[in-house]
Amino acid sequence: MILAAAMSLEAFTTDREIALLKKGDPDAVSDLIGRYQHRLYRFLVRLVQDPATAEDLFQQTWIRLMEKIGSYDARRSFEAWLFAIARNLAIDHLRRRRAISLDEQDESGQAPMDRLTAGGRDALEQLLDFERGALLAAAITELPAIHREVLTLRFEEEMKLEQIAEIAAIPLSTVKSRLHRALESLRIRIEKGRDL
Amino acid sequence: MTEHESVRAMLALAAAGALGPEEVRRVEQHAQGCELCRRDLETWAAYTQGLSQLPQPAAPKGLVQRTQARILRDRAHAADRRRSELLLGALVVFGWASGWVFWTLARVATGGNLNVLGTNLVSGLTWSLVSTVLVWMTAATAALMLGRRREMRRFL
Repeated sequence: MILAAAMSLEAFTTDREIALLKKGDPDAVSDLIGRYQHRLYRFLVRLVQDPATAEDLFQQTWIRLMEKIGSYDARRSFEAWLFAIARNLAIDHLRRRRAISLDEQDESGQAPMDRLTAGGRDALEQLLDFERGALLAAAITELPAIHREVLTLRFEEEMKLEQIAEIAAIPLSTVKSRLHRALESLRIRIEKGRDL
Repeated sequence: MTEHESVRAMLALAAAGALGPEEVRRVEQHAQGCELCRRDLETWAAYTQGLSQLPQPAAPKGLVQRTQARILRDRAHAADRRRSELLLGALVVFGWASGWVFWTLARVATGGNLNVLGTNLVSGLTWSLVSTVLVWMTAATAALMLGRRREMRRFL
């Protein structure tokens, strides 16, 4: 009950801020940026895997939001709309960037999978890493962007499948199949890494 | 596809909380009597739990302030651009209007006939051509000057 009340208060506050934003109030945007900074930044970092680029895209997202605020439909979820803007900018960025293959070597001369398992650590250590989430986080970086996207929205942002479908502009069935494939390939990578 | 195979294909989504109530019931019912699926479901649950507890990248310090500053800069540039476009538009209209007024006065003053090298300069066609070229040259010069001024401001 307390949670429901807190959520409705937050929705009310967001609605009020959006109304102020439409009137051109600059303070309203700083409140919204402050409220979403951690979640939006984390989402972008997961997608583009580079903090500097994530910050640039974060700023571009708010600029784009300010440009489009006049056409925002209040019946739509603000959160989904905000994340959709960020997602489109990130996907455009990734399309422009040269795709990195799993086997491609980095500056250290190691393939991504080798970096995951480097250091001669035994299976127990890797298992402990897995429990800590470090190996899991590293394995996520090897997944394609559309898989990273669905995993971060579902498990870190705790979004419903319908919200993810709205953000990625895909049908619900595609969200499910994408989530399934993402989990499968994550598990394959973790287990493959552990076997090495 | 057997019930076992069908349920196995749903285990990952079951652990991710992405199934409907009827599918969840099917998975749970099958897993009660199938050791393999029960253990696999537990493994998937460990993965999804791990995904919910990943180390979180924190937003860098000053991100809100930097974003606000960039928004203000962007808005200032947009306003500047709008002003420049309005100014250019106004110049073109002014050039066209003054050309028309001058043409009317020139026609009245010359009685509609001002021959230079065999061309009547105050005829409608000649005047239109000359004034159009002059207006576009003025607009291009103004656009160049405005662009340079904007570059200078950005540099400073």
